Amino acid sequence: MSIVDIPVEDAGALQAGRTEVRRELLRELRHSKTFLVGSTILLIWIICAIFGSAIAPHSPYTQNLLGINKAPSGAHLFGTDQLGRDMFSRVIVGSRDILVIAPLATLLGTVCGTAIGLVMGYFRGVVDDVLGRFVEAFLALPLVVTGVIALSALGRSNLVIIIVIGLVFTPLIARTVRAAVLLERELDYVAAARLRGEGSLYIMFVEILPNVSGPILVEFTVRLAYAIFTILTLTFLGLGVQPPSPDWGLDIATNYGVVPAGYWWEVLFDAIAIATLVVSVSLISDAVQGVLER
Amino acid sequence: MVTFILKRLGLALITLWLLSVIVFVLGQVLPSDPGRSVLGPLAAPSAVRALDHQLGVDKPLLTQYWHWITHFPGTSTQYQTPIGPILTTALGESLKLAVFAFVLVVPLGIIGGIVSALNFGKPIDRTISIVGQSALTVPEFVSGIVLILIFSIALGWLPVTATAPPGSGFFTQLKYLILPVIPLVLVLFGYIARMARAGTVEALESDYARTATLKGLPRGVMIRRHVLRNSLLPTITVIATQTGYLIGGLVVVEVLFRYNGIGMLTYNAANQHDIPMLEACVLTIGIVYMIVTLIADIGFSLLNPRIRLRAAE
Amino acid sequence: MDKPDIRKLDAIRVERTPLENHYIDELLAGRIDRRQFLRRGSTMGMSATLLGTILAACGSSSSSSSSAASSASTSGPAPKAGGTLSVAGVTPAAAVNPLTVSDAGGLLMLNQTGEFLVFDSNLKLMLQPMLALSWSHNGDGSVWTFKLRPGVKFSTGAPMTADDVVYTFQQLSDPKNASNALSTFTGVLTPSGVKKVDSTTVEFHLESPNGNFPYLVSSDNYNAIIVPNGTDFGKWQSTFVGTGAFKLGSYTQGHGATFVPNPNYWGTKPLLAGTSFQFFSSQTPMLLALQGKSVDVVAQFVPAGAAAILTQPSLYKIIKLPSANHRELSMRNDQAPFTDARVRQAVAYTLDRKGMVNALLSGDGTVANDTPFGPRFPSSNLSLPQREQDIAKAKQLLAAAGHSSGISAPLVTEVYEEIPQLATVIKENAALAGITFNLKIESQSLYYGKATYGNSDWLDATTSLVDYGDRGVPNVYLEAPLTSAGPWNAAHFKNKQYDGLVKQYVAALDLSTQKSIATKIEQLLLDETPIVIPYWIDGLTASTPQVGGLNPTSIAQLYLNAAYKS
Repeated sequence: MSIVDIPVEDAGALQAGRTEVRRELLRELRHSKTFLVGSTILLIWIICAIFGSAIAPHSPYTQNLLGINKAPSGAHLFGTDQLGRDMFSRVIVGSRDILVIAPLATLLGTVCGTAIGLVMGYFRGVVDDVLGRFVEAFLALPLVVTGVIALSALGRSNLVIIIVIGLVFTPLIARTVRAAVLLERELDYVAAARLRGEGSLYIMFVEILPNVSGPILVEFTVRLAYAIFTILTLTFLGLGVQPPSPDWGLDIATNYGVVPAGYWWEVLFDAIAIATLVVSVSLISDAVQGVLER
Repeated sequence: MVTFILKRLGLALITLWLLSVIVFVLGQVLPSDPGRSVLGPLAAPSAVRALDHQLGVDKPLLTQYWHWITHFPGTSTQYQTPIGPILTTALGESLKLAVFAFVLVVPLGIIGGIVSALNFGKPIDRTISIVGQSALTVPEFVSGIVLILIFSIALGWLPVTATAPPGSGFFTQLKYLILPVIPLVLVLFGYIARMARAGTVEALESDYARTATLKGLPRGVMIRRHVLRNSLLPTITVIATQTGYLIGGLVVVEVLFRYNGIGMLTYNAANQHDIPMLEACVLTIGIVYMIVTLIADIGFSLLNPRIRLRAAE
Repeated sequence: MDKPDIRKLDAIRVERTPLENHYIDELLAGRIDRRQFLRRGSTMGMSATLLGTILAACGSSSSSSSSAASSASTSGPAPKAGGTLSVAGVTPAAAVNPLTVSDAGGLLMLNQTGEFLVFDSNLKLMLQPMLALSWSHNGDGSVWTFKLRPGVKFSTGAPMTADDVVYTFQQLSDPKNASNALSTFTGVLTPSGVKKVDSTTVEFHLESPNGNFPYLVSSDNYNAIIVPNGTDFGKWQSTFVGTGAFKLGSYTQGHGATFVPNPNYWGTKPLLAGTSFQFFSSQTPMLLALQGKSVDVVAQFVPAGAAAILTQPSLYKIIKLPSANHRELSMRNDQAPFTDARVRQAVAYTLDRKGMVNALLSGDGTVANDTPFGPRFPSSNLSLPQREQDIAKAKQLLAAAGHSSGISAPLVTEVYEEIPQLATVIKENAALAGITFNLKIESQSLYYGKATYGNSDWLDATTSLVDYGDRGVPNVYLEAPLTSAGPWNAAHFKNKQYDGLVKQYVAALDLSTQKSIATKIEQLLLDETPIVIPYWIDGLTASTPQVGGLNPTSIAQLYLNAAYKS
């Protein structure tokens, strides 16, 4: 997306121009096959997350200690697990936690990252250098490692996961936003705004921000996929949500040992669920990226 | 050029110091009681307090920080032995796994990317993209479990754990590392292939390439001489950024395959609230990441004439 | 049973103490069976040969007795010398220090090179001589004398004498040390009570009479391996010095250990050329390693999640040991809603114990009846009616206590073995009667906290579910969690009558007295129901079919003296 040089008096026209561009982008997205496939799958999971308890044929928590480890059948589409719970219901309801935590965490990281990136890119100089060192320091800590320390220190709560992931995403997103802002600040409309006497905050958040929204959106979708990935990994390691939650990573961790006994259904459907969710978000992020690059 | 490198080094040192502070703060946030962790939940409180005092837990934060920095890497509260040797061994093991992964995935990715670019739009291009994309979406623990269940349990071809018996030869050790390396390769392949593909496409469409072809330079020679070099450039950057994902993947893979690397060391230390060990591991991981990024930065600027020339000014 | 040989018996009886004669009477009258006779007799210090002779004279088939740590598993492939056995065990939680070890991974390491005065054999269900050849008491059980085995040498070549035994037990019972054995010795033995009589005899002068003392210096007290006089326990991990059949090859923190035969061993040399231990942080990779043939033996595991091993008997040999391993649900007797015993009983009646044993333990366990007296202990009275799931009764009890609309309470517990699943089952069961438990499942360190009242979720929570490892006698289960001064009393149960009964039980020397007191205790606990114990868990060890000669205990020890791999 390129910004055309527009004289100061046409600020209103600029605004109208932006809306037009946005509408055009949305139209392109709607025609993109990748976007449609991705959104459909994601929508299905969102419905599962919100209406899970209503859709699921059984409660994901009800145990049937006499009907444990039963293969898929008419009564239990995905079979039952080691405590006789219906796997189909567990897979459906298992989408809830991940679809709440992951977007919230990514949102936190995006908001903070954008703010810091704007400040770094706009002010440059000392502020940029100092913040830049912080950003680099945080960058050196892989997400899973930070998650491991934070969760074992502060306890396994969803709030901690959201904060940790948000914290680690912030420098990543800040870096991208900063790069975009560096390009933007050289443009005329910024100089014009400064001449008009607008304050730095106004320029950053009202003038520049909308014009870097493209890369921010891309970052958000890419990071979202990675957030889902990481939360599931942390849960698998025993640092995420706790039993009896039907979370997919947790079920895989509990059940993968009994697959050699022949109970393949206790792991396969959770794995497919994970794959489809991550794929859907990736497809959406690809589509957005493709549309914005044109 | 030298000033450029020195400047980068200087900045890196400041970042390193900041990193140590962050790690120390994270470590002090841990609400644990190292004396209690060592002696177990049923020990008498007086014994726990005595051990805590011995370990220096009751001194002011600044003193503890200084002590930690000057005595790095320190002693493990859990095992009461110096961390240094354990850490170096673990790091070595992880490096083996990481290098193995890189040695496999970088050529695979680059070749995949180049092949894709050369066959732009054709089925092979599509296939490679899809394979890359789908491999990306499966977390390492899922692919790891599937590999174990198929190749170790059902077929019995490869060992379940990644650690070869002591004294094994090079190829035996490699055999034990095959399964653990695959999840890592899968996760990195897609991105590298995509970058290589983009870089190759750009290089193929560049003026230089077109001119060379027009001048009659054979395709193969042109690819080797020009395209390769320019597609390598973004790939080097990518490798550096992927180090973060690789290390994250190492933690899960090492725990799943019971491999004595720094990932598993970190995980165990976190579970046992062994603060000195945890801080040592995390700081080491950070240092490794920074070194890799630094080398990549310098390598990138060496290869990229634009930066090299500007730096020389 | 053949006719007893009275003349032979009379000859034996003349030399026996009144208490021992009492046991022989009980045996003849059929009031105790052969197994209980062996157990009680061995505790009192009667040698195996003597016990065997008595049994033969009573017309019962004699039991063979072999050196304590020798082979105990039955049929198997023919023994073959040589080879290295690889064993999967749990990662020791801290440095392997005999004084402070309190976890399964650590204690497994202790018994590889260390030995005890007495061995509690799960397979033979009796005490056997190990480093002590015989033991006896002074009549009222307040002084116990142990005669040591001569000719025993440490792996360093130095001989073991009474000085080493005295040093070991003085360190273990000293309140100034952070000794894990204090949980066994507090109130029973102090360092000044350990006395050397001569180079092969040690006397224990107890704080009060104790009829089960030999168990307290047996392998049940897993810290009590005998070490050389003056050993720095903190450095033991680098030498693993002990009197056992193996000595240390190497020990790698958090990863594994290797052992080689000890050339100075007093007993039969091991068949193996060496053993190699690999540490795992959880059970699933351990079992996968067995299936993938990376290890030959899994030292101890629980049925939950082990279906792959348990459902394929042709591929894996399972050794099952009845044990007193259990899970204890405590309800704060001093907090609403559990101040009324009827509410506590209601909880007990909601539980589907049979279903739990089936689903959580795959049948490898027995239902328990909310008291520490289970089938493992000969003094238990197992004839009291076994509680079963009775939702109607539970609702009735709740209504009688004024809670017809149901109650709710938090239930705090730890991530350990099958306990999280048990917690969810309890929650589901209790919900059927209108009791809502809000689960809070924490890591072990958070759950145990500082393990003192006011600083521990385990001890402070309104409802708490904790694990208890196996013991050879129920003393610890009776005292620590249920007496008014007990340090592990999560139920905050304070009942003077109970305290008195327990004191009597501990001092009792003969089985029938123990039994009658046990009956009174069981009845009291059933009436009050301060705690709920849903089941006893068998100790399971698994190996490939080529392995034989394993000698595991239900406390997760594993003796490999007679092990072999064909």
